[in-house]
Amino acid sequence: MTEPTLTVEQQIHQAGPVVLTVTGELDHHTAPQLSQALDHAPLGDGRALVIDLSGLAYCDSTGITVLVTAYHRAQSAGSSLSLAGLSHDLTRVFQTVGLDQVFTLHPGLDDALAALRP
Amino acid sequence: MTPNAPARLLALASDGDRRSAPVREYPVAEASPSPALDRIAALAARIFGAPMAGVTLGDPDRARLIASHGLADTAEAFRLPGLPVLGGPRPEAFMVTDALTDPRTADHPLVRGGLGVRFYAAAPIVTAGGQRLGTVSVLDTRPRHPGRDRLDALRDLAALAMEELELRLSAVRTVAAERARRADAERLARTLQRTLLPPTLPSVPGLRSAAAYHTASPDEVGGDFYDLFPLENGRWGLFIGDVCGKGADAAALTSLTRYTLRAAAIYDPDPCAVLANLDAVLKGEQQDGGPRHCTALFGVLEPAPGDAFTVTLAGGGHPPALAVRADGTVEPISTIGGQLIGLLPEPRFVRTTTRLAPGESLLLYTDGLVEARTPDGDMLGQERLAQHLAAAGASSADRLLHTVSGLLGSLGPGVGDDTALLALSVPVPPASSLQENR
Repeated sequence: MTEPTLTVEQQIHQAGPVVLTVTGELDHHTAPQLSQALDHAPLGDGRALVIDLSGLAYCDSTGITVLVTAYHRAQSAGSSLSLAGLSHDLTRVFQTVGLDQVFTLHPGLDDALAALRP
Repeated sequence: MTPNAPARLLALASDGDRRSAPVREYPVAEASPSPALDRIAALAARIFGAPMAGVTLGDPDRARLIASHGLADTAEAFRLPGLPVLGGPRPEAFMVTDALTDPRTADHPLVRGGLGVRFYAAAPIVTAGGQRLGTVSVLDTRPRHPGRDRLDALRDLAALAMEELELRLSAVRTVAAERARRADAERLARTLQRTLLPPTLPSVPGLRSAAAYHTASPDEVGGDFYDLFPLENGRWGLFIGDVCGKGADAAALTSLTRYTLRAAAIYDPDPCAVLANLDAVLKGEQQDGGPRHCTALFGVLEPAPGDAFTVTLAGGGHPPALAVRADGTVEPISTIGGQLIGLLPEPRFVRTTTRLAPGESLLLYTDGLVEARTPDGDMLGQERLAQHLAAAGASSADRLLHTVSGLLGSLGPGVGDDTALLALSVPVPPASSLQENR
């Protein structure tokens, strides 16, 4: 079995929101990578954060912790946080743990960005 | 020793006083042959221009040849008694330049016998603690008169042999220590697991129960847990859950969670109150290493008329329990909407109640089961689990567990996480229920 890998890319869109694109497997081995990227993402001044998870194949409880921590941080910075592109399986996982009530979930990145336009 | 002795024994000064160094007995019996020791023997022979050399270990009378160079008879020669101490035991390097003319060696079987040894030089292999392990020695069938520098070189070779033996010993010991450390860690994991899981479920009158714990990896202990325990007034508490993370941290959190749930249930057995209590305790644990959370189902079992049980369950972010009804249908006891425990400011817990009639059963499980990958690459999911249970037609707690264990086995490497299982069933009472014997 190969080691799980994760890549995180940050883009600041013209419209203003910060988009983090997370690809791979998010577990207790790779979670620190996302954690670090989230710590460095510019928040505040009403800037929205969108995490594009359409390339995320797996997310365990440690990954969920990182996402909830990001949610708390965005809240206290006055930024909105939305998740885009969760797979069917991961949507089920998020429903089971009740996080579909916490995060704004969008089917894809375009939907998430469209929802941010005034 | 006098200068005109027939065989001159050249003694080299010993290497200062090393007796003050901490004495650690070298396990001579553990030493094994190595190419480096063979090269040392070959080099010793070459330095003296002699045909035979060897490295021996152990008491002089029972020396074991561990490396050799030269004639086929070399090994035989070193097996004969006394050769390493030819001329008497001594702590320094020495030579017998002509054994035949030395009265102390002239009658030795090696000298008189077929091999006809005339020249012998030896340097002791000594540990830093002063323990003599053996000898690097050189033999020839002709008398020789080499310079003192050759003996110096032999002493250096003996020191090299000592370093090689120490290296090999430390490698052996590192491997042994690593093995022991690993065995300790595995024992700790097994002990923790035994501590964290109730070894046997209590016997609940009128109910059958069974539990199992499937580990996905022998190296990483998951944080799954379950329990079934008595409350007041004939009621019983039960729970199943999974803490975030793996390993020792998860194990400690599992322990805290289990005892909090049991204590909270005694204080106020309302399932939502129990989960709220756990939420508060977990939030108090967030010192280092970030937030700690878990998912759990907590339930209260109460005997109900008609040999049935009422089950009140509260869910906090946990997959719903599945009830297998008397007609064989499988029904999720939904607690969807309940949220993770210990992570959110004001988590919501969802309570639901169901009745388990005779012939019905209930399966509680952790997410390792429904998040297991099927061969098509998708998660098994609750629906397919329910279909599998319905198709298997398992109605008793034991058979339910057997069915799920079989399913986990068939998914093999698709099961990426530990899975805890707790099954309950209400047996159908015999026709003459008054005679029922439990």
